[in-house]
Amino acid sequence: MIVKDTAMKRKWGMAIDLDKCTGCGACSIACNQENNMPIFEDDSDVPKRVAFLELMKVTNDRDAKFPDVKTAFLPKMCQQCEGNDSGHHKGEPPCVSVCPAVATDVGDDGVVSQIWSRCIGCRYCQTACPYEARAFNWWKPEYEGSFKKSLNAEVSVASRGTIVKCTFCSHIWKRERDKAVAKGILDINAVTYTPACASACPTGAIVFGDLNDPESEVSKLAKSDRAVRLVNTIDDVKDPDKKKALMNKKQFMNPKVYYLTSQPWLRDMMRFKKNS
Amino acid sequence: MKKIDRKDFLKIGSGAVVGGLAGYTLSGAPFLGFQWLVEWTQDQYVPAPGIEKYVKAVSDSCTCGCKVSVRKIGDRAVKIESKEGVCPACLNGLQLLYHPERIAAPMKRTGSKGSGNFQPVSWEQALKDISSKMNSIINEGKANTIAAVNKNESLNGQLMEKFIKAAGSNNVYYESSLNSITSQALGGYIKYNFSNTDYILSFGSRLVEGWGDAVDMQKQFLNWKKKNVKIVQADSVCTRTGSIATEFVGIKPGTEAILAFGIANYLITGKKKISSGGEFAKWSQIIINKYPLGKVAQITGIAEDKIKKIADEFAAAKNPVAVAGKGGYGVSGSSAEIIAVYCLNTLVKSKAASLVKNSAVSYSAEFAGLDGFIKDGNFAMMFLNGSDPVYKSVLGDDLKKKLEKAFVVSIAPLMNDSSAYADYILPPLSFLEAETKENKPVVKALKETKDAKEIITSLAAMVDKTKNALPKSAVVSGRESAVSKFSFNVSKIKAEIDAYEKKVGQNAEYPVTLVPIEIPLVGDGDGLAFPYVLKSIDPSTMNVGKFYVQMNRETADKYGFSEGSSIKITSARGKLGKAYVHLTDVVAPETVAIPLGFGHESYTKYGNEKGLNPKKIMTADVDPLTGTADWWSTRVKIS
Repeated sequence: MIVKDTAMKRKWGMAIDLDKCTGCGACSIACNQENNMPIFEDDSDVPKRVAFLELMKVTNDRDAKFPDVKTAFLPKMCQQCEGNDSGHHKGEPPCVSVCPAVATDVGDDGVVSQIWSRCIGCRYCQTACPYEARAFNWWKPEYEGSFKKSLNAEVSVASRGTIVKCTFCSHIWKRERDKAVAKGILDINAVTYTPACASACPTGAIVFGDLNDPESEVSKLAKSDRAVRLVNTIDDVKDPDKKKALMNKKQFMNPKVYYLTSQPWLRDMMRFKKNS
Repeated sequence: MKKIDRKDFLKIGSGAVVGGLAGYTLSGAPFLGFQWLVEWTQDQYVPAPGIEKYVKAVSDSCTCGCKVSVRKIGDRAVKIESKEGVCPACLNGLQLLYHPERIAAPMKRTGSKGSGNFQPVSWEQALKDISSKMNSIINEGKANTIAAVNKNESLNGQLMEKFIKAAGSNNVYYESSLNSITSQALGGYIKYNFSNTDYILSFGSRLVEGWGDAVDMQKQFLNWKKKNVKIVQADSVCTRTGSIATEFVGIKPGTEAILAFGIANYLITGKKKISSGGEFAKWSQIIINKYPLGKVAQITGIAEDKIKKIADEFAAAKNPVAVAGKGGYGVSGSSAEIIAVYCLNTLVKSKAASLVKNSAVSYSAEFAGLDGFIKDGNFAMMFLNGSDPVYKSVLGDDLKKKLEKAFVVSIAPLMNDSSAYADYILPPLSFLEAETKENKPVVKALKETKDAKEIITSLAAMVDKTKNALPKSAVVSGRESAVSKFSFNVSKIKAEIDAYEKKVGQNAEYPVTLVPIEIPLVGDGDGLAFPYVLKSIDPSTMNVGKFYVQMNRETADKYGFSEGSSIKITSARGKLGKAYVHLTDVVAPETVAIPLGFGHESYTKYGNEKGLNPKKIMTADVDPLTGTADWWSTRVKIS
């Protein structure tokens, strides 16, 4: 098969419907298992913990009193920021521009990559990340005894002193592409995939897909009234001129992970703002 | 003073250098340096590559019957996937399969009980020892002193029940579950038809957090959302279920049953509804006289109008259903409460709840339930089939003393608080290694482990009395049949209904109420042996060794606590170790919410000594009908 158009059409994104999330934790287990998360003796020790996906528990109890309170779960991973994207075709997330070792970069599919073996451990990107989505291996990742047998061969095991983070399970996309190539399909835009967290969600709260495709479920959800992005303040500026002016002055995250919620308090909390 | 000449100066100098070098070498610093060098220059561990394959498997060791697809690389299983949802036990299947502390061969106790000292023995020796002990007990005519506690009603649980009953003992118990306590209270468990209901009134049942069939409830939840089903949740902590509910009714802790009495009272007297249950007349008289609406409002903290509104809506809905059994994975409730809530269903003639029985699981034993048996029963031999009653029962410490005197056999893949008291631990297969009717084993079994079903059948074959009692291989599962008539024993629970008021009323010595909450994946404790579960625990529950309980801000102010201050919780049964306070208003006033599932004594190095086990001080009054302690709300003092 001859491929005429080799330009990447995809822009991977995610929409997480918090109204549908029951907090079962299946996404967290799936992510840890898929991405060979290190196993320390006490992983309830949060500062030492290395995980890509954090199942955050949030409540509105600062502003509300019992019984007018609510609890919600918020699965938080790397938000795959695009930055202001002023003319730059790939986008410029806050972490990429500070990396001195090109260990983190944006692919033409919009996914912010992280190559453990290239990382020199300066932790600039961790400081730059507004979402605390990056974790540093202060200790050598260990997999005691037979735990090694459950390791996924497609994700390399990180060394001590490196930064790791969610890559939207890009290795699964590679797996799917390899499968397609074996079938003779050479067009990269013909292949789709689902990251581990999205395929593990029993209520279908996590939806993954192509943001460039207006027909995809994730694009439709991203345009929904319930959609909100995590502390991306520029979303609240409606005037396009003002938006442009602000973007010239300041770098905004512009993440590719959209959360959906019908709860005003949760919306406010995620935007660091009152009265949406 | 002697002048230092050149030679002395050189001597001192070289002495300092040699001493420094020796010190540096002996300090271990160079070796640490080498170790670092090795770590930083060597490649990390590389997982063995292999051919990828997906293999289907169905679990017969959980009650959900999870259907999964397992991703394999070569002969290793690396991922459990499922489109239909998986229960937490199966979700952690890989971590159990490859757990470094998994028991690989039968173990015989060498140290004293509880010490955890065991040595591996052969299957022949273990089974011979156990069966000869059993034979001698039966020959002495003391067959009824053989007992078993099953983890759940799965196939191996049913087999164990058959085995013990064939040996001539009636002492087969199940760890307390929604089905076991409702069966004891009502004569059958409730089969809910959630897909057709339009109104759910839940009395503290945390419906989407592990209650009932955890996998199915996730699907039902989506269905309710789609159909706009009204969910009213009465609870003293606004958990996730309370938040997804259409209406959250904050209720004083432990008074859910009284709300049910109040609603029943209103429906009977105000709406002239009647139920067909046997002894209904007697029961309704007690409720009407004892719990008028005004009193109910005062006890539960819910306004009279609100109770009326809930009752009216409930009665007016097309297909309403009331749900009992407080909690998620760890479920609790008194028989009076379960009966009162089920009566609401009969009052409105709900089509969404019916009583059924499973012919293979009887729940009928010498004592009504496990806690009653622990308290008053005696046994010379005990089989623990995957269960951990020492940890999960509020009477665990009493059970320990009895296990010390008995011959105990534990079928468990990992050491747990109960297995530590076993004479023999027999390691079962994980569900990925087991063969079922639907599938072949996903991976080859670990060393000397055997299918739990096979362990029970081969034991049965070696005991003279049960030789021909069990089928050799696959077991026919029981069938569900409807319970013909709903009747309940009023005289047996009258005292309980009377006692309710006192239990939840003012108490000068123990002013605060302790109620449990559950954390994702940890549930009621099974998850804590798995590192990926520990990774998901939020820092407001456990952080750097500190275990937090939750308290309302006003209440904390009143008793002099602030965020992070240490707290000691004491009930009439004893004192709980040191915990810390997390202030949050999702908890009702005058209440302390404590996470379940922590504080294991012997559950692998991952689960050990993390947090506290609240069941040690929770109420242990055994309910006369369910035979299980209604531990949900416990009066405590805090300091």
